Amino acid sequence: MATKVSGTSNTRFKQDERRRDSDHVSFLKHRRFRWLWIALVLSGISIAGFVLIDQEPRPNGGTWYGYTLGTIGLGLIIWLSLLGVRKRRINPGAWSLKAWTSAHVYLGLSLIVIGTLHTGFQIGWNVHTLAYVLMLLVIATGIYGVIVYATLPASLSANRKEMTRAQMLDALTAIDRQLESAAQPLGRADADWVIAALEQDTFHGGALGRLTGRYPRCATARALKGMAGSSGAVDRVIALLEKRRDQLTQIRGALRIRALLEIWLFIHIPLTIALIAALTAHVISVFYYW
Amino acid sequence: MAFLIRTIDFTAAGREIIRDRVVEQTALTIGRAAECDIHLPDLAVEQRHVRIDRQPDGTLAVEALGTLGFGLDGRVVTQGIIDPHTGGEIALGAARLAVAREGDDTIAITIRQIAADEGKGDALRGFALASALPSKRAMSWIFAGAILLALLMVPVASHLLRDPVKNDPETIVPGQVVMDAAWSAGALSLKHHELEDNCESCHVAAFESVQDETCISCHEGLGDHAKPTRLAGGMAPLSSGDALQWRIGEALGKEGPLGCVSCHSEHEGPVRQKPASEAFCSDCHDALDTRLTDTALANAHDFGKEHPQFRPAFYASFGAAKPVRASPDTKPIERSGLKFPHDVHMDARGGAARMALSLPDYGQPLECKDCHSLTADKISFKEVTMEDSCEGCHSLVSGRTASGAFSNLRHGDVKDLAEDLARINPAPRPALASGRTRPGQFARGGAYAANFGRPMRAYIGLSNALSPGGICTECHLPTTKQGRPDLMPVNLPDRFLTSGFFTHEAHRKEECTDCHAADTSKAATDLLIPDLKSCRDCHLGATAVKTKKIVPSDCAMCHAYHVPSGQWSPKGKAPHYSPAPAPDKTTIAALFGQAKP
Repeated sequence: MATKVSGTSNTRFKQDERRRDSDHVSFLKHRRFRWLWIALVLSGISIAGFVLIDQEPRPNGGTWYGYTLGTIGLGLIIWLSLLGVRKRRINPGAWSLKAWTSAHVYLGLSLIVIGTLHTGFQIGWNVHTLAYVLMLLVIATGIYGVIVYATLPASLSANRKEMTRAQMLDALTAIDRQLESAAQPLGRADADWVIAALEQDTFHGGALGRLTGRYPRCATARALKGMAGSSGAVDRVIALLEKRRDQLTQIRGALRIRALLEIWLFIHIPLTIALIAALTAHVISVFYYW
Repeated sequence: MAFLIRTIDFTAAGREIIRDRVVEQTALTIGRAAECDIHLPDLAVEQRHVRIDRQPDGTLAVEALGTLGFGLDGRVVTQGIIDPHTGGEIALGAARLAVAREGDDTIAITIRQIAADEGKGDALRGFALASALPSKRAMSWIFAGAILLALLMVPVASHLLRDPVKNDPETIVPGQVVMDAAWSAGALSLKHHELEDNCESCHVAAFESVQDETCISCHEGLGDHAKPTRLAGGMAPLSSGDALQWRIGEALGKEGPLGCVSCHSEHEGPVRQKPASEAFCSDCHDALDTRLTDTALANAHDFGKEHPQFRPAFYASFGAAKPVRASPDTKPIERSGLKFPHDVHMDARGGAARMALSLPDYGQPLECKDCHSLTADKISFKEVTMEDSCEGCHSLVSGRTASGAFSNLRHGDVKDLAEDLARINPAPRPALASGRTRPGQFARGGAYAANFGRPMRAYIGLSNALSPGGICTECHLPTTKQGRPDLMPVNLPDRFLTSGFFTHEAHRKEECTDCHAADTSKAATDLLIPDLKSCRDCHLGATAVKTKKIVPSDCAMCHAYHVPSGQWSPKGKAPHYSPAPAPDKTTIAALFGQAKP
């Protein structure tokens, strides 16, 4: 009995260990690249079929092989787009989100092969090529997403210097409060510079500013440039404005990394939905004008 | 060396109360305990939380006295330095202590209570890129909606609501369906280019494949390669993938592998229709006899390797209405109704050559082109006419006209001949009386002399001309028609090879006698059409290696699918095929169909 109990607990321990181990394995390496291999085999079979099967009168989406590739591709695209649904369903079951994500990445990449072979290399200004190009854009943004998810988070924490985002904003608020009181003795012109710097939205600059890290209309930088006078009060305000600028630089560094991390989703998701619409138009139009 | 401690509070009415006190020390303690220099009644603050020390260099060292840190310029630390010149802010619980130099030697510490920051979560949201871009959901709806509307709903709606127009190849009308150009998988072939904006001319009904009936509505009278049942029977079996596709396709209304569009696939770019490949033909014609066991056609799959012997069409009996076909191997005998030994005429040292040399129109021995000239299509030869080709030597001169020129017997119709002979050979008119003649111009040979004699000798002359040994029988075969002497009608087909296409233009560098054994032919009964072997000297199948002599030749070089005797041509005007005249067009055969030798 005791043996049995220890046996079960041993198994349980092993299971838990395995789960704990797997918790720290990247979705790319999930199960020793299982989905990478599946995707490679799928692509290999597709290419071999394309080369070996005699497609009359010429290879394109209208041969039986073309229809087969198209059906596989359509099924894959629909399934891949369901990742957004899957990740919102947190419930038990034999469907690991990591496995699903791993399959999403690798099967998504195999779509480059399947989709391209389905076109038969016939490209034009039409709804069919629109669907193909949208698919390629979605895949390209996905590749970008995988790369930035693997590389950028390290620089994100390096930029933080042990500060949370809330602390960064608090620090700015603290500097602002000091600026406000330090600026009391200033003249009209200099006070206006300070007001402009204080009034500007912390997140000013828009998406382009975030992505490039360039803020040509930054009021703090302008105030630093514009401040004239050499009294002690002005010196103190300039010192505080410099602190403010440094704090803004840190916040903007975080914004830039965050933007680079997130921008692909703003293309990936809407283009996926656009792709599904274009695929609908593609499939219906092909059979409408059969 | 003093600290100015300034506390700012608010009354219930919101009025500010400012209390200043000066502490003459070099260090301060801050905490909840009453004995601290700055007492903060806030549970979030330790009893003795922070100590501020003035350093010799004028800066302030701030240090947590317990394990709990404090906020310094927004950052949580356990110790830090404040330069009083720029100042700093210490956060302890809800209190904010602004530290700054005031005057020369005084450090002002301004204590202010701040309200709990409720909007902090919202502020943090600003870090997400979503705060600077339109929402993904909105973009998705806009993109998907625009695509579905412009590329699906608009074309479908305008197709369903259009007013169908009957196709007419003479007038090209623009299509009524809007935005369906976006559905086109590629440009149409050059011949269909004008239909580029009129998709519905071919795609007539929704979800219905292009029907043969629609193609035929313009391409009227296009020949069938064979009867559909024979075509279906002769087809090589489909691959399982193709068979499945056709089964599904036919179940959904496609017209099967024998429909127009299964071979004539469109939207392949602005090109001309390509000739059928050798494989396209040999798919069926290789081992055709195993599928169509009763077929009269021999198998063919490669001109150099397997192709049946030619079977030229010719008239095997005199005046036959229909030509027959036979292989050159069987030494066929042609009954054209003519006598014509080619060898005599072509012998450079023979009598014909000598005659030609003496005539200014020739000046040299006879050549093929002296009699045979190509038709405009460069495939066949024009009919040889007696007047142009033979009469130079085989003269029909019958006398002199009054003006002194030669008069000829007319050629071509026995009736004309009889008239002409009657004119030259009237029976002499009996004399008025012995020893007497008519006077002057009325005398025999005078301008007004008239011969009213019976035309007896004319008939004898005609009979002589048409009988063996007569002038006509130099070239023609004598016969009788309704009891009267006549000639066998000349009966030659316009085209000998009727199921294929041969252009003499492409072979003009060859000598005629390289292929046609005319120089050794002793009689007009020889059929001088070359055999398969002589073509294979140069022409081998499509897979043959091209050399200076060998021309790889696919089926389409000589055969066409819809018009067997036409040839697919990559250039020029429509149609792609030059249709040959039907073999039974020869009118002479029909006119003299019943003549017998």
